[in-house]
Amino acid sequence: MSVDTSGIRLQRYTRSPASSGLAIPMARIALILVPLVAWEVCSRLGLINGFLFPAPSAILNKLWVQSGPNGNPPYAILWHVADSMLRLLSGLSLAVIIGTLLGVGLGMSQRARLVFQPIISILMPVPTLAWTPVLLLVMGIDNRTTILVVFLAAVFEMIYIVASGIEMLNVKMLWVAWSMGASRRQVFWRVIIPGIFPCLITGTRLGTGYAWRALIAAEMLAASSYGLGFMIYDASEYMNIGVIYGGVMMIAALGYLLENVLVGKIEAATIEKWGVLNER
Amino acid sequence: MSNATPSAPFAGVADEQRLRSILYRGAASAFLFALPIIVFLLIWETTVRLGWINATILPSPSNIARRAWVLLDPADPAKSILLTHIVVSLWRALSSFALACVLAIPMGLFLGLNRTAYLIASPLLSLLLPLPAVAWAPIFLVIFGQGDITIIAVCFLGAFFPILYSTIQGVRAIGRHSLWVVRSMGASRFDIFRRVLLPGALPALISGLKLGMAHSWRTLVAAEMLAALTHGLGFMIFAARSYMDVSTMFVGIVCLALIGLLIERGVFGSLEALTIHRWHGNGKVGSHR
Repeated sequence: MSVDTSGIRLQRYTRSPASSGLAIPMARIALILVPLVAWEVCSRLGLINGFLFPAPSAILNKLWVQSGPNGNPPYAILWHVADSMLRLLSGLSLAVIIGTLLGVGLGMSQRARLVFQPIISILMPVPTLAWTPVLLLVMGIDNRTTILVVFLAAVFEMIYIVASGIEMLNVKMLWVAWSMGASRRQVFWRVIIPGIFPCLITGTRLGTGYAWRALIAAEMLAASSYGLGFMIYDASEYMNIGVIYGGVMMIAALGYLLENVLVGKIEAATIEKWGVLNER
Repeated sequence: MSNATPSAPFAGVADEQRLRSILYRGAASAFLFALPIIVFLLIWETTVRLGWINATILPSPSNIARRAWVLLDPADPAKSILLTHIVVSLWRALSSFALACVLAIPMGLFLGLNRTAYLIASPLLSLLLPLPAVAWAPIFLVIFGQGDITIIAVCFLGAFFPILYSTIQGVRAIGRHSLWVVRSMGASRFDIFRRVLLPGALPALISGLKLGMAHSWRTLVAAEMLAALTHGLGFMIFAARSYMDVSTMFVGIVCLALIGLLIERGVFGSLEALTIHRWHGNGKVGSHR
Protein backbone atom coordinates (compact mmCIF):
# COMPACT_ATOMS: atom_id res chain seq x y z
CA MET A 1 0.00 0.00 0.00
CA SER A 2 2.93 2.28 -0.20
CA VAL A 3 2.70 5.16 -2.57
CA ASP A 4 5.72 6.23 -4.45
CA THR A 5 6.19 9.89 -3.67
CA SER A 6 9.66 10.22 -5.07
CA GLY A 7 8.30 11.55 -8.33
CA ILE A 8 6.48 14.44 -6.70
CA ARG A 9 8.63 17.46 -6.50
CA LEU A 10 8.22 19.19 -3.16
CA GLN A 11 7.95 22.86 -3.59
CA ARG A 12 7.77 25.26 -0.76
CA TYR A 13 5.71 28.39 -1.25
CA THR A 14 8.17 31.21 -1.04
CA ARG A 15 7.58 34.86 -1.54
CA SER A 16 8.85 35.96 -4.86
CA PRO A 17 12.03 38.04 -4.64
CA ALA A 18 10.28 41.04 -6.14
CA SER A 19 7.99 41.41 -3.12
CA SER A 20 10.73 41.44 -0.52
CA GLY A 21 13.38 43.90 0.48
CA LEU A 22 13.88 47.15 -1.29
CA ALA A 23 12.43 46.27 -4.68
CA ILE A 24 8.86 47.38 -3.95
CA PRO A 25 9.66 50.75 -2.34
CA MET A 26 12.12 51.47 -5.16
CA ALA A 27 9.54 50.60 -7.79
CA ARG A 28 6.94 52.74 -6.02
CA ILE A 29 9.20 55.75 -6.05
CA ALA A 30 10.19 55.02 -9.63
CA LEU A 31 6.55 54.92 -10.77
CA ILE A 32 6.11 58.48 -9.54
CA LEU A 33 9.57 59.81 -10.32
CA VAL A 34 10.25 58.34 -13.78
CA PRO A 35 7.32 60.12 -15.50
CA LEU A 36 8.30 63.35 -13.78
CA VAL A 37 11.92 63.04 -14.88
CA ALA A 38 10.82 62.13 -18.42
CA TRP A 39 8.53 65.15 -18.40
CA GLU A 40 11.37 67.37 -17.19
CA VAL A 41 13.76 66.10 -19.86
CA CYS A 42 11.25 66.31 -22.70
CA SER A 43 10.23 69.79 -21.64
CA ARG A 44 13.83 70.98 -21.40
CA LEU A 45 14.74 69.46 -24.76
CA GLY A 46 11.65 70.96 -26.37
CA LEU A 47 10.18 67.58 -27.34
CA ILE A 48 6.82 68.58 -25.87
CA ASN A 49 5.18 71.96 -25.87
CA GLY A 50 6.93 73.83 -23.08
CA PHE A 51 4.03 76.24 -22.71
CA LEU A 52 1.39 73.57 -22.09
CA PHE A 53 3.73 71.25 -20.18
CA PRO A 54 6.32 73.30 -18.31
CA ALA A 55 9.08 71.36 -16.57
CA PRO A 56 8.22 70.08 -13.06
CA SER A 57 11.19 71.96 -11.66
CA ALA A 58 9.75 75.19 -13.05
CA ILE A 59 6.37 74.36 -11.48
CA LEU A 60 7.92 73.67 -8.08
CA ASN A 61 9.97 76.83 -8.37
CA LYS A 62 6.81 78.80 -9.11
CA LEU A 63 5.07 77.27 -6.09
CA TRP A 64 8.06 78.14 -3.91
CA VAL A 65 8.17 81.74 -5.11
CA GLN A 66 4.42 82.21 -4.77
CA SER A 67 4.40 80.91 -1.21
CA GLY A 68 7.24 83.19 -0.17
CA PRO A 69 7.31 86.95 0.45
CA ASN A 70 7.99 87.64 -3.24
CA GLY A 71 4.73 86.13 -4.43
CA ASN A 72 1.91 88.13 -5.92
CA PRO A 73 0.30 88.86 -3.45
CA PRO A 74 2.94 87.96 -0.81
CA TYR A 75 2.54 84.49 0.69
CA ALA A 76 -0.24 83.85 -1.85
CA ILE A 77 -0.21 80.04 -1.68
CA LEU A 78 -0.38 80.05 2.10
CA TRP A 79 -3.41 82.33 1.99
CA HIS A 80 -5.08 80.13 -0.62
CA VAL A 81 -4.55 77.04 1.52
CA ALA A 82 -5.66 78.81 4.68
CA ASP A 83 -8.88 80.05 3.06
CA SER A 84 -9.69 76.64 1.61
CA MET A 85 -9.11 74.97 4.96
CA LEU A 86 -11.20 77.55 6.78
CA ARG A 87 -14.12 76.93 4.42
CA LEU A 88 -13.72 73.18 4.55
CA LEU A 89 -13.52 73.03 8.33
CA SER A 90 -16.40 75.41 8.99
CA GLY A 91 -18.67 73.67 6.45
CA LEU A 92 -17.66 70.27 7.71
CA SER A 93 -18.16 71.05 11.39
CA LEU A 94 -21.58 72.56 10.61
CA ALA A 95 -22.43 69.38 8.72
CA VAL A 96 -21.23 67.14 11.54
CA ILE A 97 -23.19 69.00 14.21
CA ILE A 98 -26.43 69.49 12.26
CA GLY A 99 -26.18 66.09 10.61
CA THR A 100 -25.75 64.39 13.98
CA LEU A 101 -28.70 66.22 15.51
CA LEU A 102 -30.97 65.49 12.56
CA GLY A 103 -29.75 61.93 12.35
CA VAL A 104 -30.44 61.32 16.04
CA GLY A 105 -33.86 62.90 15.66
CA LEU A 106 -34.68 60.72 12.66
CA GLY A 107 -33.28 57.62 14.29
CA MET A 108 -35.05 58.03 17.61
CA SER A 109 -38.48 59.11 16.48
CA GLN A 110 -40.65 57.02 14.19
CA ARG A 111 -42.84 60.03 13.53
CA ALA A 112 -39.95 62.26 12.47
CA ARG A 113 -38.78 59.51 10.14
CA LEU A 114 -42.21 59.28 8.52
CA VAL A 115 -42.26 63.01 7.90
CA PHE A 116 -38.69 63.87 6.99
CA GLN A 117 -37.29 60.76 5.36
CA PRO A 118 -39.15 61.31 2.05
CA ILE A 119 -38.06 64.94 1.93
CA ILE A 120 -34.45 64.04 2.60
CA SER A 121 -34.51 61.22 0.08
CA ILE A 122 -35.68 63.56 -2.69
CA LEU A 123 -33.07 66.16 -1.78
CA MET A 124 -30.21 63.67 -1.53
CA PRO A 125 -29.79 62.82 -5.24
CA VAL A 126 -29.43 66.47 -6.26
CA PRO A 127 -25.79 67.01 -7.25
CA THR A 128 -24.43 69.35 -4.58
CA LEU A 129 -22.88 71.72 -7.08
CA ALA A 130 -26.23 72.31 -8.75
CA TRP A 131 -27.13 74.40 -5.69
CA THR A 132 -24.18 76.73 -6.29
CA PRO A 133 -25.93 79.11 -8.75
CA VAL A 134 -28.97 79.38 -6.47
CA LEU A 135 -26.80 80.11 -3.45
CA LEU A 136 -24.82 82.59 -5.54
CA LEU A 137 -28.03 84.46 -6.27
CA VAL A 138 -29.13 84.46 -2.66
CA MET A 139 -25.81 85.31 -1.03
CA GLY A 140 -23.54 86.52 -3.79
CA ILE A 141 -19.88 85.65 -4.27
CA ASP A 142 -19.03 85.13 -0.64
CA ASN A 143 -17.55 82.71 1.84
CA ARG A 144 -21.07 81.77 2.92
CA THR A 145 -21.82 80.28 -0.50
CA THR A 146 -18.79 77.98 -0.52
CA ILE A 147 -19.29 77.01 3.11
CA LEU A 148 -22.93 76.13 2.44
CA VAL A 149 -21.98 74.01 -0.57
CA VAL A 150 -19.45 72.14 1.58
CA PHE A 151 -22.11 71.72 4.25
CA LEU A 152 -24.64 70.33 1.75
CA ALA A 153 -22.05 67.94 0.34
CA ALA A 154 -21.37 66.35 3.71
CA VAL A 155 -24.61 66.67 5.67
CA PHE A 156 -26.73 64.03 3.93
CA GLU A 157 -24.09 61.36 4.45
CA MET A 158 -23.94 62.32 8.13
CA ILE A 159 -27.70 62.14 8.59
CA TYR A 160 -27.91 58.81 6.84
CA ILE A 161 -25.05 57.18 8.71
CA VAL A 162 -26.05 58.50 12.14
CA ALA A 163 -29.66 57.39 11.65
CA SER A 164 -28.54 53.90 10.66
CA GLY A 165 -26.12 53.88 13.60
CA ILE A 166 -28.99 54.49 15.96
CA GLU A 167 -30.88 51.60 14.46
CA MET A 168 -27.95 49.36 15.36
CA LEU A 169 -27.89 50.68 18.93
CA ASN A 170 -29.11 48.23 21.53
CA VAL A 171 -32.55 49.32 22.73
CA LYS A 172 -31.92 47.80 26.16
CA MET A 173 -29.28 50.43 26.92
CA LEU A 174 -31.87 53.12 26.37
CA TRP A 175 -34.37 51.24 28.55
CA VAL A 176 -31.81 50.96 31.34
CA ALA A 177 -30.98 54.64 31.17
CA TRP A 178 -34.63 55.65 31.08
CA SER A 179 -35.70 53.36 33.86
CA MET A 180 -33.01 54.79 36.12
CA GLY A 181 -34.39 58.22 35.48
CA ALA A 182 -31.81 59.68 33.11
CA SER A 183 -32.71 63.06 31.71
CA ARG A 184 -32.91 63.68 27.98
CA ARG A 185 -29.56 65.39 28.01
CA GLN A 186 -27.92 62.57 29.92
CA VAL A 187 -29.34 60.01 27.52
CA PHE A 188 -28.03 62.01 24.59
CA TRP A 189 -24.50 62.56 25.92
CA ARG A 190 -23.97 59.35 27.89
CA VAL A 191 -25.79 56.73 25.81
CA ILE A 192 -26.47 57.87 22.27
CA ILE A 193 -23.28 59.74 21.43
CA PRO A 194 -20.89 57.03 22.70
CA GLY A 195 -23.11 54.41 21.05
CA ILE A 196 -23.01 55.97 17.61
CA PHE A 197 -19.43 57.19 17.84
CA PRO A 198 -18.02 54.70 15.31
CA CYS A 199 -20.69 55.75 12.82
CA LEU A 200 -19.91 59.36 13.56
CA ILE A 201 -16.26 58.82 12.67
CA THR A 202 -17.14 56.87 9.52
CA GLY A 203 -19.58 59.58 8.50
CA THR A 204 -16.99 62.27 9.08
CA ARG A 205 -14.51 60.34 6.99
CA LEU A 206 -16.88 59.93 4.05
CA GLY A 207 -18.17 63.47 4.49
CA THR A 208 -14.63 64.87 4.38
CA GLY A 209 -14.10 63.22 1.00
CA TYR A 210 -17.33 64.61 -0.45
CA ALA A 211 -16.74 68.02 1.12
CA TRP A 212 -13.22 68.28 -0.28
CA ARG A 213 -14.42 67.50 -3.81
CA ALA A 214 -17.30 69.95 -3.53
CA LEU A 215 -15.09 72.66 -2.03
CA ILE A 216 -12.66 72.75 -4.97
CA ALA A 217 -15.48 72.95 -7.51
CA ALA A 218 -17.41 75.53 -5.47
CA GLU A 219 -14.33 77.71 -5.16
CA MET A 220 -13.90 77.63 -8.92
CA LEU A 221 -17.47 78.81 -9.40
CA ALA A 222 -18.02 81.07 -6.43
CA ALA A 223 -14.86 82.37 -4.76
CA SER A 224 -13.71 85.91 -5.32
CA SER A 225 -10.10 86.17 -4.22
CA TYR A 226 -8.64 83.19 -2.37
CA GLY A 227 -8.86 79.42 -2.15
CA LEU A 228 -7.06 76.66 -4.03
CA GLY A 229 -9.96 76.07 -6.42
CA PHE A 230 -10.10 79.78 -7.17
CA MET A 231 -6.35 79.82 -7.67
CA ILE A 232 -6.31 77.18 -10.40
CA TYR A 233 -9.42 78.49 -12.15
CA ASP A 234 -8.12 82.05 -12.11
CA ALA A 235 -4.78 80.81 -13.46
CA SER A 236 -6.57 79.07 -16.35
CA GLU A 237 -8.19 82.36 -17.34
CA TYR A 238 -4.73 83.91 -17.63
CA MET A 239 -3.25 80.74 -19.18
CA ASN A 240 -0.84 80.66 -16.24
CA ILE A 241 -0.32 76.93 -16.61
CA GLY A 242 2.48 76.55 -14.07
CA VAL A 243 0.21 77.74 -11.28
CA ILE A 244 -2.49 75.29 -12.38
CA TYR A 245 -0.16 72.29 -12.20
CA GLY A 246 1.20 73.50 -8.90
CA GLY A 247 -2.34 73.93 -7.56
CA VAL A 248 -3.39 70.46 -8.69
CA MET A 249 -0.34 68.99 -6.96
CA MET A 250 -1.20 70.90 -3.78
CA ILE A 251 -4.81 69.70 -3.98
CA ALA A 252 -3.69 66.10 -4.43
CA ALA A 253 -1.27 66.32 -1.51
CA LEU A 254 -3.78 68.02 0.79
CA GLY A 255 -6.53 65.57 -0.17
CA TYR A 256 -4.19 62.70 0.63
CA LEU A 257 -3.29 64.24 3.98
CA LEU A 258 -6.93 64.89 4.86
CA GLU A 259 -8.25 61.51 3.84
CA ASN A 260 -5.48 59.15 4.90
CA VAL A 261 -3.42 60.85 7.56
CA LEU A 262 -5.76 63.13 9.50
CA VAL A 263 -8.95 61.07 9.50
CA GLY A 264 -6.92 57.86 9.69
CA LYS A 265 -5.19 59.16 12.84
CA ILE A 266 -8.51 60.04 14.42
CA GLU A 267 -9.84 56.62 13.55
CA ALA A 268 -6.78 54.89 14.99
CA ALA A 269 -6.97 56.98 18.17
CA THR A 270 -10.64 56.28 18.80
CA ILE A 271 -12.37 53.36 17.13
CA GLU A 272 -9.46 50.99 16.79
CA LYS A 273 -8.12 51.78 20.26
CA TRP A 274 -11.47 51.14 21.88
CA GLY A 275 -11.93 48.06 19.77
CA VAL A 276 -15.45 49.05 18.89
CA LEU A 277 -15.07 47.88 15.32
CA ASN A 278 -14.32 44.36 16.50
CA GLU A 279 -17.36 44.22 18.72
CA ARG A 280 -19.75 44.84 15.88
CA MET B 1 -43.39 19.30 -6.98
CA SER B 2 -44.20 17.29 -3.86
CA ASN B 3 -45.81 20.19 -2.08
CA ALA B 4 -47.95 21.28 -5.01
CA THR B 5 -51.13 23.18 -4.24
CA PRO B 6 -54.07 20.83 -3.63
CA SER B 7 -56.45 22.36 -6.11
CA ALA B 8 -56.02 25.02 -8.70
CA PRO B 9 -59.05 27.29 -8.13
CA PHE B 10 -58.30 27.96 -4.46
CA ALA B 11 -54.71 28.67 -5.27
CA GLY B 12 -55.85 31.18 -7.82
CA VAL B 13 -58.00 32.93 -5.26
CA ALA B 14 -55.18 32.94 -2.72
CA ASP B 15 -52.79 34.31 -5.31
CA GLU B 16 -55.24 37.02 -6.23
CA GLN B 17 -55.72 37.95 -2.60
CA ARG B 18 -52.01 38.04 -2.02
CA LEU B 19 -51.49 40.15 -5.13
CA ARG B 20 -54.21 42.53 -3.99
CA SER B 21 -52.68 42.86 -0.54
CA ILE B 22 -49.24 43.49 -2.08
CA LEU B 23 -50.73 46.13 -4.34
CA TYR B 24 -52.59 47.67 -1.43
CA ARG B 25 -49.49 47.75 0.72
CA GLY B 26 -47.46 49.24 -2.12
CA ALA B 27 -50.02 51.96 -2.70
CA ALA B 28 -50.18 52.72 1.02
CA SER B 29 -46.41 53.04 1.36
CA ALA B 30 -46.25 55.17 -1.79
CA PHE B 31 -48.91 57.41 -0.33
CA LEU B 32 -47.07 57.63 3.00
CA PHE B 33 -43.90 58.48 1.10
CA ALA B 34 -45.55 61.13 -1.06
CA LEU B 35 -47.62 62.81 1.66
CA PRO B 36 -44.80 64.71 3.42
CA ILE B 37 -43.44 65.82 0.05
CA ILE B 38 -46.85 67.13 -1.01
CA VAL B 39 -47.30 68.93 2.31
CA PHE B 40 -43.80 70.38 1.99
CA LEU B 41 -44.57 71.66 -1.51
CA LEU B 42 -47.90 73.12 -0.34
CA ILE B 43 -46.23 74.98 2.51
CA TRP B 44 -43.62 76.29 0.09
CA GLU B 45 -46.33 77.39 -2.35
CA THR B 46 -48.41 79.21 0.26
CA THR B 47 -45.45 81.00 1.88
CA VAL B 48 -44.39 82.27 -1.54
CA ARG B 49 -47.97 83.24 -2.47
CA LEU B 50 -48.41 85.10 0.82
CA GLY B 51 -45.21 87.00 0.08
CA TRP B 52 -43.27 85.74 3.09
CA ILE B 53 -40.46 84.61 0.80
CA ASN B 54 -39.15 86.76 -2.01
CA ALA B 55 -40.49 85.08 -5.16
CA THR B 56 -37.57 86.29 -7.27
CA ILE B 57 -35.21 84.24 -5.13
CA LEU B 58 -37.38 81.24 -4.31
CA PRO B 59 -40.17 80.82 -6.89
CA SER B 60 -43.24 78.80 -6.02
CA PRO B 61 -43.44 75.15 -7.13
CA SER B 62 -46.32 75.95 -9.48
CA ASN B 63 -44.17 78.61 -11.09
CA ILE B 64 -41.32 76.12 -11.54
CA ALA B 65 -43.69 73.54 -13.01
CA ARG B 66 -45.04 76.10 -15.47
CA ARG B 67 -41.50 77.06 -16.45
CA ALA B 68 -40.64 73.39 -16.96
CA TRP B 69 -43.68 72.99 -19.21
CA VAL B 70 -42.63 75.98 -21.32
CA LEU B 71 -39.03 74.73 -21.59
CA LEU B 72 -40.16 71.20 -22.36
CA ASP B 73 -42.41 72.44 -25.15
CA PRO B 74 -44.31 69.15 -25.52
CA ALA B 75 -46.01 70.27 -28.72
CA ASP B 76 -42.75 70.04 -30.63
CA PRO B 77 -40.38 67.52 -29.04
CA ALA B 78 -37.73 67.95 -31.75
CA LYS B 79 -37.18 71.58 -30.81
CA SER B 80 -37.75 71.27 -27.08
CA ILE B 81 -35.03 73.23 -25.25
CA LEU B 82 -35.10 71.17 -22.08
CA LEU B 83 -34.93 67.87 -23.96
CA THR B 84 -31.92 69.07 -25.94
CA HIS B 85 -30.11 70.01 -22.73
CA ILE B 86 -30.94 66.64 -21.19
CA VAL B 87 -29.83 64.66 -24.25
CA VAL B 88 -26.55 66.56 -24.51
CA SER B 89 -25.82 66.06 -20.79
CA LEU B 90 -26.71 62.37 -20.92
CA TRP B 91 -24.54 61.85 -23.98
CA ARG B 92 -21.53 63.43 -22.26
CA ALA B 93 -22.04 61.51 -19.03
CA LEU B 94 -22.59 58.17 -20.73
CA SER B 95 -19.71 58.46 -23.18
CA SER B 96 -17.27 59.38 -20.42
CA PHE B 97 -18.65 56.55 -18.29
CA ALA B 98 -18.23 54.04 -21.12
CA LEU B 99 -14.67 55.23 -21.72
CA ALA B 100 -13.90 54.88 -18.02
CA CYS B 101 -15.32 51.32 -17.96
CA VAL B 102 -13.30 50.26 -20.99
CA LEU B 103 -10.04 51.46 -19.44
CA ALA B 104 -10.61 50.94 -15.72
CA ILE B 105 -11.98 47.39 -15.64
CA PRO B 106 -9.06 45.67 -17.47
CA MET B 107 -6.59 47.75 -15.49
CA GLY B 108 -8.37 46.86 -12.26
CA LEU B 109 -8.33 43.15 -13.15
CA PHE B 110 -4.60 43.35 -13.86
CA LEU B 111 -3.77 45.23 -10.66
CA GLY B 112 -6.05 42.97 -8.64
CA LEU B 113 -4.46 39.76 -9.91
CA ASN B 114 -0.87 40.91 -9.88
CA ARG B 115 0.20 41.53 -6.31
CA THR B 116 3.52 43.11 -7.17
CA ALA B 117 1.95 45.56 -9.60
CA TYR B 118 -0.65 46.47 -6.98
CA LEU B 119 1.98 47.11 -4.32
CA ILE B 120 3.93 49.29 -6.71
CA ALA B 121 0.96 51.30 -7.92
CA SER B 122 -0.89 51.73 -4.63
CA PRO B 123 0.86 54.93 -3.42
CA LEU B 124 0.18 56.60 -6.75
CA LEU B 125 -3.46 55.45 -6.63
CA SER B 126 -4.01 56.69 -3.09
CA LEU B 127 -2.61 60.04 -4.18
CA LEU B 128 -4.87 60.28 -7.23
CA LEU B 129 -8.02 58.82 -5.65
CA PRO B 130 -8.90 61.74 -3.34
CA LEU B 131 -8.00 64.30 -6.03
CA PRO B 132 -11.27 65.93 -7.15
CA ALA B 133 -11.84 65.39 -10.87
CA VAL B 134 -12.89 69.02 -11.24
CA ALA B 135 -9.36 70.07 -10.29
CA TRP B 136 -8.25 68.80 -13.72
CA ALA B 137 -10.70 71.13 -15.44
CA PRO B 138 -8.39 74.19 -15.59
CA ILE B 139 -5.62 72.11 -17.20
CA PHE B 140 -8.00 70.75 -19.83
CA LEU B 141 -9.46 74.21 -20.32
CA VAL B 142 -6.03 75.53 -21.24
CA ILE B 143 -5.12 72.54 -23.43
CA PHE B 144 -8.45 71.82 -25.18
CA GLY B 145 -10.38 75.04 -24.61
CA GLN B 146 -14.07 75.04 -23.73
CA GLY B 147 -16.25 72.33 -25.17
CA ASP B 148 -17.17 68.68 -25.17
CA ILE B 149 -13.63 67.28 -24.97
CA THR B 150 -12.87 69.09 -21.72
CA ILE B 151 -16.19 68.07 -20.16
CA ILE B 152 -15.90 64.44 -21.18
CA ALA B 153 -12.27 64.26 -20.02
CA VAL B 154 -13.18 65.65 -16.59
CA CYS B 155 -16.16 63.30 -16.19
CA PHE B 156 -14.01 60.40 -17.37
CA LEU B 157 -11.54 61.05 -14.56
CA GLY B 158 -14.44 61.33 -12.12
CA ALA B 159 -15.71 57.88 -13.09
CA PHE B 160 -12.35 56.17 -13.71
CA PHE B 161 -10.95 55.98 -10.18
CA PRO B 162 -14.01 54.62 -8.34
CA ILE B 163 -14.39 51.88 -10.96
CA LEU B 164 -10.68 51.04 -10.89
CA TYR B 165 -10.62 50.94 -7.10
CA SER B 166 -13.70 48.74 -6.76
CA THR B 167 -12.50 46.32 -9.45
CA ILE B 168 -9.18 45.91 -7.65
CA GLN B 169 -10.91 45.36 -4.32
CA GLY B 170 -13.38 42.92 -5.86
CA VAL B 171 -10.68 40.79 -7.48
CA ARG B 172 -8.46 40.85 -4.41
CA ALA B 173 -11.34 39.74 -2.20
CA ILE B 174 -11.83 36.49 -4.15
CA GLY B 175 -9.02 34.67 -2.41
CA ARG B 176 -6.43 32.36 -3.83
CA HIS B 177 -8.04 29.12 -2.72
CA SER B 178 -10.92 29.17 -5.14
CA LEU B 179 -8.50 30.04 -7.92
CA TRP B 180 -6.21 27.17 -6.91
CA VAL B 181 -9.10 24.72 -6.75
CA VAL B 182 -10.36 25.61 -10.18
CA ARG B 183 -6.90 25.67 -11.69
CA SER B 184 -5.98 22.31 -10.20
CA MET B 185 -9.07 20.84 -11.78
CA GLY B 186 -7.74 21.95 -15.13
CA ALA B 187 -9.77 25.02 -15.94
CA SER B 188 -8.56 27.13 -18.81
CA ARG B 189 -7.71 30.78 -18.36
CA PHE B 190 -10.97 31.82 -19.98
CA ASP B 191 -12.94 29.48 -17.71
CA ILE B 192 -11.26 30.94 -14.66
CA PHE B 193 -12.15 34.40 -15.83
CA ARG B 194 -15.75 33.58 -16.69
CA ARG B 195 -16.66 31.26 -13.83
CA VAL B 196 -14.56 32.52 -10.93
CA LEU B 197 -13.21 36.02 -11.40
CA LEU B 198 -16.23 37.63 -12.98
CA PRO B 199 -18.93 36.31 -10.61
CA GLY B 200 -16.64 36.75 -7.61
CA ALA B 201 -15.73 40.33 -8.36
CA LEU B 202 -19.15 41.30 -9.63
CA PRO B 203 -20.73 42.69 -6.43
CA ALA B 204 -17.81 45.05 -5.91
CA LEU B 205 -17.60 45.75 -9.62
CA ILE B 206 -21.25 46.75 -9.90
CA SER B 207 -21.11 48.93 -6.83
CA GLY B 208 -18.03 50.50 -8.40
CA LEU B 209 -19.88 51.09 -11.65
CA LYS B 210 -22.74 52.62 -9.71
CA LEU B 211 -20.36 54.88 -7.84
CA GLY B 212 -18.54 55.73 -11.05
CA MET B 213 -21.75 56.72 -12.80
CA ALA B 214 -22.83 58.80 -9.81
CA HIS B 215 -19.45 60.54 -9.75
CA SER B 216 -19.57 61.09 -13.49
CA TRP B 217 -23.06 62.60 -13.21
CA ARG B 218 -22.12 64.84 -10.30
CA THR B 219 -18.87 65.96 -11.88
CA LEU B 220 -20.73 66.67 -15.11
CA VAL B 221 -22.70 69.48 -13.47
CA ALA B 222 -19.58 71.30 -12.35
CA ALA B 223 -17.75 70.63 -15.61
CA GLU B 224 -20.66 71.95 -17.66
CA MET B 225 -20.83 75.08 -15.55
CA LEU B 226 -17.12 75.68 -16.16
CA ALA B 227 -16.65 74.54 -19.72
CA ALA B 228 -19.88 74.14 -21.70
CA LEU B 229 -20.46 76.45 -24.64
CA THR B 230 -24.12 76.06 -25.55
CA HIS B 231 -25.91 73.08 -24.06
CA GLY B 232 -26.20 70.80 -21.07
CA LEU B 233 -28.17 70.95 -17.84
CA GLY B 234 -25.27 72.42 -15.86
CA PHE B 235 -24.86 75.08 -18.53
CA MET B 236 -28.60 75.79 -18.42
CA ILE B 237 -28.51 76.37 -14.66
CA PHE B 238 -25.41 78.50 -14.76
CA ALA B 239 -26.58 80.55 -17.72
CA ALA B 240 -29.96 81.16 -16.07
CA ARG B 241 -28.08 82.80 -13.22
CA SER B 242 -27.02 85.67 -15.46
CA TYR B 243 -30.67 86.43 -16.20
CA MET B 244 -31.81 85.91 -12.58
CA ASP B 245 -34.09 83.22 -14.02
CA VAL B 246 -34.47 81.23 -10.81
CA SER B 247 -37.36 79.05 -12.04
CA THR B 248 -35.17 77.68 -14.84
CA MET B 249 -32.45 76.96 -12.31
CA PHE B 250 -34.86 74.94 -10.21
CA VAL B 251 -36.13 73.09 -13.31
CA GLY B 252 -32.51 72.11 -13.98
CA ILE B 253 -31.96 70.97 -10.40
CA VAL B 254 -35.09 68.81 -10.45
CA CYS B 255 -34.05 67.26 -13.79
CA LEU B 256 -30.56 66.51 -12.50
CA ALA B 257 -31.91 64.82 -9.39
CA LEU B 258 -34.54 62.82 -11.29
CA ILE B 259 -32.16 61.55 -13.95
CA GLY B 260 -29.53 60.69 -11.36
CA LEU B 261 -32.11 58.75 -9.38
CA LEU B 262 -33.41 56.98 -12.49
CA ILE B 263 -29.92 55.85 -13.49
CA GLU B 264 -29.08 54.66 -10.00
CA ARG B 265 -32.32 52.90 -9.15
CA GLY B 266 -33.54 51.93 -12.61
CA VAL B 267 -30.42 50.89 -14.49
CA PHE B 268 -28.14 49.67 -11.73
CA GLY B 269 -30.94 48.33 -9.57
CA SER B 270 -32.13 46.04 -12.35
CA LEU B 271 -28.54 45.13 -13.25
CA GLU B 272 -27.97 44.00 -9.69
CA ALA B 273 -31.21 42.04 -9.70
CA LEU B 274 -30.23 40.35 -12.95
CA THR B 275 -26.74 39.32 -11.93
CA ILE B 276 -25.80 39.40 -8.27
CA HIS B 277 -29.10 38.43 -6.76
CA ARG B 278 -29.43 35.58 -9.22
CA TRP B 279 -25.89 34.30 -8.84
CA HIS B 280 -25.47 34.78 -5.15
CA GLY B 281 -28.91 33.55 -4.16
CA ASN B 282 -29.98 35.89 -1.42
CA GLY B 283 -29.75 39.61 -1.75
CA LYS B 284 -26.51 39.97 0.14
CA VAL B 285 -24.45 42.43 -1.78
CA GLY B 286 -20.94 43.20 -0.64
CA SER B 287 -21.81 46.82 -0.24
CA HIS B 288 -18.98 47.57 2.15
CA ARG B 289 -16.44 49.56 0.34
